[in-house]
Parts: sequence; C-alpha cells; structure tokens
Amino acid sequence: MPERVTEYRRIAVFGGVYNNAIALRETLDDARRRDVDAVFCLGDLGGFGPHPDRVYPLLREHDVLVLQGNYDESLASGRTDCGCGYTDPRDNHFARISYEYTFSRTSPDNRAWLGTLPRHRRLRLGEHRIVMCHGSPRVINEFLWESSTPSGLLRAFLREAEADVLLCTHTGIKWHRALGDGAHAVNVGVIGRPENDGTPDVWYTILTAGPDLGVEFVPVRYDVETLAREMEAEGLPAEFVETIRTGWWTTCLENLPAKERARGKF
Amino acid sequence: MKVGLPVMIADTADAPVAPFVRLTALWIQLTGTWCNLECTHCLNASGPRDPWLRPLDAETARRAIVEAERLGVKEIYFTGGEPFLHKDIVALLELSLAVAPTTVLTNGTVITEAMADTLAALARAAVYSLEIRVSLDDVDPDLNDRVRGPGAWAKAVAAVRRLNARGLVPIVTATEIIAAERTDAGGTYQRFRDFLLAEGVTKPRLKILPVFAVGRLETPGGERLTDEVLEGFDRAQLQCAETRVIAADGVYACPILAGLPGARLSDADLEASFRAASLYHPACLTCHQTGMTCRNA
Repeated sequence: MPERVTEYRRIAVFGGVYNNAIALRETLDDARRRDVDAVFCLGDLGGFGPHPDRVYPLLREHDVLVLQGNYDESLASGRTDCGCGYTDPRDNHFARISYEYTFSRTSPDNRAWLGTLPRHRRLRLGEHRIVMCHGSPRVINEFLWESSTPSGLLRAFLREAEADVLLCTHTGIKWHRALGDGAHAVNVGVIGRPENDGTPDVWYTILTAGPDLGVEFVPVRYDVETLAREMEAEGLPAEFVETIRTGWWTTCLENLPAKERARGKF
Repeated sequence: MKVGLPVMIADTADAPVAPFVRLTALWIQLTGTWCNLECTHCLNASGPRDPWLRPLDAETARRAIVEAERLGVKEIYFTGGEPFLHKDIVALLELSLAVAPTTVLTNGTVITEAMADTLAALARAAVYSLEIRVSLDDVDPDLNDRVRGPGAWAKAVAAVRRLNARGLVPIVTATEIIAAERTDAGGTYQRFRDFLLAEGVTKPRLKILPVFAVGRLETPGGERLTDEVLEGFDRAQLQCAETRVIAADGVYACPILAGLPGARLSDADLEASFRAASLYHPACLTCHQTGMTCRNA
C-alpha cells in the first residue's frame, strides 16, 4: 500500500529553537502573516537559551509539526550529553553546561513527548516531493554545512528517499542549493540563535509550490535584550549571551568548516 | 630490514573485522612515505630516504576522486609523507575541490608565500571548503624540533601565519607525544590555543591526536583487538567502516595502515574494497580505545 502523503501549497520550516521561546513566538506570528498552510520544526528544541518548558505550549498552540533532533533524542532517552559529537574540550565544556541546564529544567512529560517525535517526514508541496530530517536522512546529528556537503551526496540522499527536495537543519546556518532537474537541498536555518553573521536576527524558510520551487529565507527580529537578560538571570554562560546580542558564535565552533569559520568573528 | 620501516605484520588470522558501511571519507595517500622530515613518532615511518611506500601517480588519484564522487563521498583528504612535495598536488586539489570538501595534512614546511597564494585562490574559487592541517607537536621550538627535526617549528609556524593571513583558518594538529613532559594545568589543548591566540590567530582550530604505537614507534608483539573486547560495541562506529584510502599499491580502510599487506583490500578499485576490514593491527586497538578520528571532526 503506498504511503499516504499530505499535499501543501506553502509551508514554513525552521529548526533549532534552542529554548528561545521569544523568537519562536515571533517566528510563528510572522509565518501566519505570510499565509502558510502549515509550520514545521525540524528538531532541537532545547539547549543554549533559558526556560526550556516555555517552548512546548507554543508549539502545541500553533499546531507545529515537529521532528526529533539529536538534542531531543538525548533529552528523551536520558543521555548525559547532547549528542552533538564535539571533541574539542572547550566546545564540550559549554555543550555540557547547556545540556545539563536544559535537561534539569525540561519536565518529564515534555521529555517523554520528545521521545515520540518522528525522525523523518515526507510530504508534497504541489508537485515537489519533500523529505525532511534533522541532520541528514541517514544520521540524526550529521552536519550538512553548505561548504562541506557535496552535491553528489545530496543527490544520493534524494535518490534513496525518492524525493526531489531535502530539508534539513542542525548546523545553525541556512543555505539552498539547486541540484538540477528540479532537485533541491535546503538547510532551513535555526530560530534559536543568530547565524554567526554579526546580526542578532534568526532565520526560517518559506517554501512555495510552483513550476519552480520557491525558497525564501526570512529574517526574524525579536526582543533580543529580554532574552539576554533572562539568560543572565538563569546564570547561563556570558559567552552564550554575547552570541545572542552580537550575532557572532563564541562556542561550539569546532565543527564549522573553513569557509563558514572564516566568515565568523571567532 | 631497513631502519625506520614499520613492522609488516600480515597475520590477520582470527582478527576481528569491521563492516563496510558507506564511503564517507576518501584518503589520497599522495606521496606514500616520502617526506622532507623524519619525525620520531611518524605513523607510517615517512622520511626523505628511500620511502618504503612509493608516491601515487596523478592518474590513479584522479580516477579515485572521480569514482568516489559517483559513490557519494562526503570528504576527501590528502596525506603522505608530505603531500606538498608531489608535483601534481595543485591540479589534484582543484579536481578534488570540485567534488567534495578537501583537506591536506601537511608539515607546513614547503608552504611558501607563493603556495599560500595558490591555496587561497583555490579556496576562493571552490564551493567546498579547503582545509589545511598543519602538524606541530609543541608550542616550544626546541621541544617540537626534538620530535620533528631541526627547523621544523619555525617553518610550520610560518606556514600557519601565511595561511591565517589569507583567511584559510588552518587546523593545527598536535599529538600528545610531548604531553608527558609538560606540567601546565591546561594540557595540550589550552597550551596550543593560548599560543595561537598570541600569534594573532583569532580563530584557533586544533586537533589533538593520541600517540599510536605504529610506524616509527611500532614494536613487534603489540596487543591487538579481539572479538571478546569488541562484544557489545557497534563496529559501524569505527572510522574504517566509512573510510577508504587509495595508495600506490592498493586500497586500504585506514590512513595509518596504508601500505601494510594485512590491511590491503583491493588493487586500485574503490568499489572492490567495499568489504569488511581486518582489525588485526595494534593501531586498531588504540583507535577503538581512544575513539579518535583521523577526520577533521
């Protein structure tokens, strides 16, 4: 029996909420104003920001269709780390602080719910067959950076998934590559943390059906100062707060490939 | 037996194996064991005299890159010996960068101003990242050169400065060979990070490797992995499950073991090497115990 796949006309997609309920609310309001049929989150609800449990009611209230990310998988299964796979001791130091904070402040009910989330989702956007994942279709925490992901590999992912469009997140920096013959790969970005470009904006993606797939990256401005003050009040590292205020990444830099690293400040 | 040759253990009987899962990383063993340095801890006993593993011809390297693209490779690495001694390296890097992100493991000693300019131009023109990994074993010139040879520190640090000045953000790769002689609290990582920041490298990138009892440090009779030790361990997590290495005399699953008879998987055809790899070598034990990766991250 063929898989039942829902068809849409226009969708909003984001990843990496990272406990940033303020940016999430702003993103959801913005997406509604842009007349989307549905909103999708590709996972990683926790980490980095303050007050993890504030994110969940918003997702439910707005019927966001959520995939499981590596952070969500770790929280649900009671792992002792975020599963980002860092080897750099400085990155691991900050990743541990972030994970322990989030784990201890995410309710057991919400953690259990994270365990129920799917890892992939398939849908149609007009004629375009879409497959969604967190890291890559094969590994939940695989980093697909723009400068480290060969087109040959992306085409192989699409062949295996019998899809035309791959949507992923996990890295924290958006990108889009047209692969020819109607094939596309889009890293939809994250809304929990700016993308290392020196501005505090965060980004999500609107995809629109048509003869050519419409891919629009949308910046979201939100109340950065309130978030920063909440992070400080919660005792989160000053390095995290600096990133929120300045837009430059200060931690978890190990996995950035040369091109992406060179564009940042640190 | 020549001085400096690795021990050619080929007894793979009863050794456990690692499955082949997918081709994630292709390593080009470009210069074999031909190097202008002769480091005391070299993983494959490279040196300037009479290399025991000969360099790869450019055509075989090209074929492997093209085949790897078809097979969905994610990353390509160039190693040796010293890859920048190969006369065709720039053309091969250009080809490789058209296929996948590409990394060169180098001692940095022959990265002149002109070569740094060439690399910067290659990096700018490519969609994918060019990563240059420069080996350095200590931030102190004397301690470093005791391992890597006279003058090695100055040349490697000059290369880091040249690459950094061109925005190529090199990854400094250090082993723990000197760590036992150091007593500072921060350890190897902090020592190198502080050094690079003081050198004006504002985006310090570091990779710290354990010391392997292989190559010039290998001794016969080293402890090996067994099926018993691996019980309950997911062998698909081992690097050799996703790595293949093209060398002058065949294809291998591990860049450290390239050239060793027991590790050889096929003549020159990548796809023919897609089978289980023997974990017969003492280096396999170190790899399993430390969970290290030769890849960038």
